[in-house]
Amino acid sequence: MTSAETREPADARPNLSAAGQATFDLALRMGGLFFAIVLVAIVMFILKPNSFNVDVGISVLRAMSSVAIMSLGLTLVIVSGEIDLSFGAMYGLGANALAVLWIVVGIPIYAALPLAILVGAAVGLFNGALVTWLRIPSFIVTLGSYNLLYGVSLWITHTSTFNPVYPPPGSEIPPAELDFFIGLTASFGTHPISLEVLWMIVLALMVGWLLHRSLFGFRLMAIGGNPTAAQLARLPVTRYKIIAFVLCGALAAIAGILDFSFIQTTQPNIGLSYTFPVFAAVIIGGASLSGGKGTIIGTIGGALLLAELQQGLALLTPGPHVQQLFLGIVTIGAVALDLVLTNIRKRRAA
Amino acid sequence: MSGGGICIRGLQKRYGSTVALAGLDIDIKPGEVLGIAGPNGAGKSTLVRIIGGEEGADAGELSFDGRAWSPADNWHAVAVVHQEPQLFPNLTVAENVVAGREDTATGWPKPTDADINVMEALGLRPFRKVRLADCSLATQQRTEIARAVARDARVFLFDEPNSALTNEESDELFREMHKLAGTGRMVVLITHRLRDLVSHCTRAAVIRDGRVRATLSGQALSEEAIARELVTESGAQAVAANARGAAQAQPTSLFSVRGWTHRSAFRNVDFAARPGEIVALMGVEGSGARELLRSFAGVERASGEITLAGAGEVGARRLRSYVPATRVASLYSNFSVGENLLVRLGSPEIAGPALALRKRRMKALAEAAVKRFLIKTGTTTQPIRSLSGGNQQKVAIAQALNCSPELLLLEEPTRGVDIRSKAEIYRLLRDYAAEGKSVVMFCTEVLELFEVADTAYVVSEGRLSPPLAIAGYDHVEQLATDITRLEAHRHIAA
Repeated sequence: MTSAETREPADARPNLSAAGQATFDLALRMGGLFFAIVLVAIVMFILKPNSFNVDVGISVLRAMSSVAIMSLGLTLVIVSGEIDLSFGAMYGLGANALAVLWIVVGIPIYAALPLAILVGAAVGLFNGALVTWLRIPSFIVTLGSYNLLYGVSLWITHTSTFNPVYPPPGSEIPPAELDFFIGLTASFGTHPISLEVLWMIVLALMVGWLLHRSLFGFRLMAIGGNPTAAQLARLPVTRYKIIAFVLCGALAAIAGILDFSFIQTTQPNIGLSYTFPVFAAVIIGGASLSGGKGTIIGTIGGALLLAELQQGLALLTPGPHVQQLFLGIVTIGAVALDLVLTNIRKRRAA
Repeated sequence: MSGGGICIRGLQKRYGSTVALAGLDIDIKPGEVLGIAGPNGAGKSTLVRIIGGEEGADAGELSFDGRAWSPADNWHAVAVVHQEPQLFPNLTVAENVVAGREDTATGWPKPTDADINVMEALGLRPFRKVRLADCSLATQQRTEIARAVARDARVFLFDEPNSALTNEESDELFREMHKLAGTGRMVVLITHRLRDLVSHCTRAAVIRDGRVRATLSGQALSEEAIARELVTESGAQAVAANARGAAQAQPTSLFSVRGWTHRSAFRNVDFAARPGEIVALMGVEGSGARELLRSFAGVERASGEITLAGAGEVGARRLRSYVPATRVASLYSNFSVGENLLVRLGSPEIAGPALALRKRRMKALAEAAVKRFLIKTGTTTQPIRSLSGGNQQKVAIAQALNCSPELLLLEEPTRGVDIRSKAEIYRLLRDYAAEGKSVVMFCTEVLELFEVADTAYVVSEGRLSPPLAIAGYDHVEQLATDITRLEAHRHIAA
């Protein structure tokens, strides 16, 4: 420590303070979230020591995984400066489209599954095209497609519930296909942990690479940070925004399919209630609705915090109102905290 | 001892490291139209914002009719008429006049008799029930005046009010100004149009570098005199203009347009720039100069024949780079200095196969750019907003130059930039041109043009003047006089 300090020449002070500031920023930002996650765990432990064990931890990870997968896609859209409200309905359509294609139409799961994901991508293309080519605000486009998609879900399922283990009369599910489908999220190990958690981690790594390590992510940040400048500098604004929407749609479909595999039942209205928790996860994770700001690690942290609160409160059983109250408090609190920290940072910089 | 009116002494204002006002003294007397002129970044708009109560000063004394005065608390006395009216486009003209003075009434407000008289006097009667957004700009400005008269404002600041008006509309506006002054109100006109200052103002103050450099009145108030005061070199700025013209000998053009026509701003323009040449386009707002530059950059649509380094319209796209007028349109506040420098690059410069970013290479490129473009920054990772305005502008220009264009297009390259950074930016442009590239810029200051350009064209009413070879001028005053003459020339012809 001392040797490092003495090696710094005297005139390198702004250098040091800038690097220090960046570290400080990151610590404040991520540290706050990390601190909150640990704090909630400790409080839960104090309130109910015997329920604090590995299995509960694993159930938190399982519970967060579909929210986290959707919030990965939403982070991309929000970083690009747009908004997507339709992913919850897309989650439902992903699961229901798969159910219909596979169980009713009889397409083998190996083809039906990519097709269902493609439906998600197509919906993203639809959203993105309307937003960029017709310049309709994304809030309105995706509010519309939210309802559209839910309508399509009701339509194609004829408002019925599907379970591949108990297919409707006249349909036959080959056992190999059923095993494959259920195997997607099978649990393993002495403390059974679902493969869905693994999918979440793999997807988070992929999207994290895309956003933080690829030219696509670099330019997406630029486009969200200053769309005018990006347009004037001839960055591919339209194309990249559409890609963000496509990925958001596809990831929502994947989340729906994985939950379908885990729960093995799908209903026309699933996913709709995920809209706000997913938004909350992204915002708690530090993304800015004005665009150009957001991290995958933050988003995952936000999803983890929410799942932890949800599972913890379910165990404490103080009543359903408390979960909702907490969701509200944490969302507003996270943004308020972020603003306070930003002001501190600005004062330090001035 | 000034009897009435506003008296300002030692007004100071800083924005971060930029000094906007450096001890400005000015008097505004009732019954007169006071003109204010000055180059961009001189402090005119800061002065307007302070008198209008939109911002506080750092230091200085203000008095109104002999009493100490704080515009922020006493804003009712002052009305600012903006170039772009700051009103409610969704309300009618009458509602705009009334809005904000509803007092304790809880119903939908109605104009009083006094309000109706004011509107009548300003010729707004026919528009009373028309939505403001559907009115012409002139009507909107008159509405803004009516609003201020109705609340009994004493001071009227007109900030570039007629730059988007037709001649008849501006004449009408000036008549209103004189009427206001005739009733003992104070009227201040801020404009770039020297002609208007001479023909409509009692006195004209020239502001440069945050101070009043001269106040002209009576016989001394002429376009030439103002032009001279605008460009007279301040001591720190004695940069000799002799490095220019290295590539003058090359007769072939690198960039040219023929029959270049815009839907409204200009028509049938023929223009060429040689390798190594820095060309400046000059013209007041609305002359078409700005649009012409933007059309070269492909940001504004124009038709005609375009050639750049042997390539046509499509090929030219990759060979030119454009630096917008404001840093709001060129820099990314969510990015660091380094990221801002590299943002226009792509594969293979900063990304490898599969579009993976080459982080180490990016760091090296950013550091090289910081060195090459003389950007004063601690690290390449600090936020862009932590730099001074001048250094931010260097980053904006470096960002465009990093794509190695054949043609660099700049819109007001040194707007709001301090003198030292200006000199460094001029050097960067000069060095770049010396590599056999062309630079075309739109500028609004004669001094800038004198210091950096090889050739200048004055644009007036969508037409180019004959080229002015800057090397032929020994004194900037001479050049300023010629440019003023060329700007006025077309007005008379038209």
